Amino acid sequence: MISHRVLRREAKRLYRLCLEGGRVNESRVRLVIDHILAQRPRGHIRLLIQFQRLIKLDIQRRTARVETAVPMPEDLQALLREQVTRRYGTGLHWEYQVKPDLIGGLRLRVGSDVYDATIQGRLMALAESFDQP
Amino acid sequence: MSQLLQEIEARIAGAKTAARRQNVGIVREIGDGVVRIEGLDDAMLNEMLDFGNGVMGLALNLEETEVGAILLGDFTSVREGHEVRTTGKVLQVPVGKALLGRVVDVLGRPLDGKGPIQAEAFYPVEKIAPGIIKRRSVNQPVQTGIMAIDAMIPIGRGQRELIIGDRSTGKTTLAIDTIINNARLNREAEQSGDTSYRPLYSIYVAIGQKQSNIARIVSVLEEHGAMPYTIVVVASASDAATNQYLAPFAGCAMGEWFMDNGMDALIVYDDLSKHAVAYRQVSLVLKRPSGREAYPGDIFYLHSRLLERAARLNENYGNGSLTALPIIETQLGDVSAYIPTNVISITDGQIYLETDLFYQGVRPAISVGLSVSRVGSAAQIKAMKQVAARIKGELAQFRELAAFAQFGSDLDAVTQAKLERGKRIVEVFKQEQYKPVPVEIQVAVLWAVQNAFMDDIPVERIKEFQTAMVDYLTTRKPDLLSRIRKEKALGDDTIAALKQAIGEFKQSWRP
Repeated sequence: MISHRVLRREAKRLYRLCLEGGRVNESRVRLVIDHILAQRPRGHIRLLIQFQRLIKLDIQRRTARVETAVPMPEDLQALLREQVTRRYGTGLHWEYQVKPDLIGGLRLRVGSDVYDATIQGRLMALAESFDQP
Repeated sequence: MSQLLQEIEARIAGAKTAARRQNVGIVREIGDGVVRIEGLDDAMLNEMLDFGNGVMGLALNLEETEVGAILLGDFTSVREGHEVRTTGKVLQVPVGKALLGRVVDVLGRPLDGKGPIQAEAFYPVEKIAPGIIKRRSVNQPVQTGIMAIDAMIPIGRGQRELIIGDRSTGKTTLAIDTIINNARLNREAEQSGDTSYRPLYSIYVAIGQKQSNIARIVSVLEEHGAMPYTIVVVASASDAATNQYLAPFAGCAMGEWFMDNGMDALIVYDDLSKHAVAYRQVSLVLKRPSGREAYPGDIFYLHSRLLERAARLNENYGNGSLTALPIIETQLGDVSAYIPTNVISITDGQIYLETDLFYQGVRPAISVGLSVSRVGSAAQIKAMKQVAARIKGELAQFRELAAFAQFGSDLDAVTQAKLERGKRIVEVFKQEQYKPVPVEIQVAVLWAVQNAFMDDIPVERIKEFQTAMVDYLTTRKPDLLSRIRKEKALGDDTIAALKQAIGEFKQSWRP
């Protein structure tokens, strides 16, 4: 059985092959998958799972998720997109979600950075400040 | 009431209203107190991570796509997919005198039900040891109250002295005796208003021990009035391996506060074998590469960086000290195993306890041949040096001759005398647990042995003679004992007085 370490190394190599200018090229990803499925090397399913994980993490890094209590108006979306792009560069995938629990405001997540300007977030911060000795 | 309203207003104003940037990650895997988190791009090594609901973690592995962290506290509420935040802080514990007399966990939270602790400050658990510029060599003794140690293997303030031996050979007892003796010295100095005496505070770190054992130790310390000068840090056998791994570092941070503030502290790590096992477990679950006996490659560095934090600072840096007494449990007396050899090489000497001696009734069962103190003799008081200088050699010679003598009975007078003297020294060094002996009494007793006052006493009655002599000196000659204690040396007139006092006692002693 092929070792996990070897599979991880191979998956990383394939992932690097899919990069173009620091970004994942979708057609290359598809090409890699087609090639692996055609060749069927030892442990190819585990290799594909590992490869998928790397692609998923890359997509997560390049995804901007906006959560609001009510649907966001188009003009505000455009303004936000402009400002976030200025900071994180172009090529972000945008996702919008409506979460009434947030009460009001906006929560933006880009990669592992989170900007919380929701009322729910402020209330939680306030509650935490009371908890602290 | 108005103050309360103002305080609430201040708190509300203090709560940030602007959008805060936070670094978050998602729990991908959890098991055995260890989590693997995706995201957390900005996490620092040893940074505290917030899992919400009061659960905290510590980032230990920073990998390309994920972070490996250990969880502190109750982690049953943490689930896969849980959001984790970085805090920008390294793990800290409360420090200061408020902790004295308390039993605390790894994070400095009280376990004794005596209410919250108002700590003076917080210290990071991981800290770089003081450098060479800050240090000085040891020159003050730690009086353990154990005659065999104070005479033959003296320990100085700032030294690292390993206590090593098999299970049930009295390792913990030696450490507890030392704590009790120093608490007694602290108390006496307080009561007499002696400001020149530097109190020695103690920290006892219990790693992977049974809760019943810890409870027993705490009750012993309370019984002997040592708790007001002692902090007990507990990571018991039922605690997670992560807590056991962190416990000595937390205790060390508490001790460092005393050292940094110009005071002296003693820390007992009981024991580092279990600590190594806990660290091995954490490392294996974190999937770090394993080496000899499955211990991770940095097991030596783990203990060396911990023990290097024990130091004696020079006067420019407050003159404080932190003395470390790590304990290692050997298996079947094998001192050449991996962890024992590591810790032996790190420390400034070791006290080796032998099972055979223990069962022969020689307690404390210190093996004189294998025990050594590399720096402590510089800190020994002059009076002790005067009486104990030759004792270690004599005792080692006795053990050699005793082994030789069992093959034949024709021994010359000199050998016979050495054997007889050796037997008496062995008897004199026998000591009951939790009954440390003040240094002035140790000096008087050893002087009596060295000057042939016990040569005509039958070996089996030496202990009886010693007890009666100590009683006599304590009740009838307190001035002489206090003179030895104060002068810390045996001058001609003190020797004459000692000779006279012991001579008088011997005449009156009826076997």
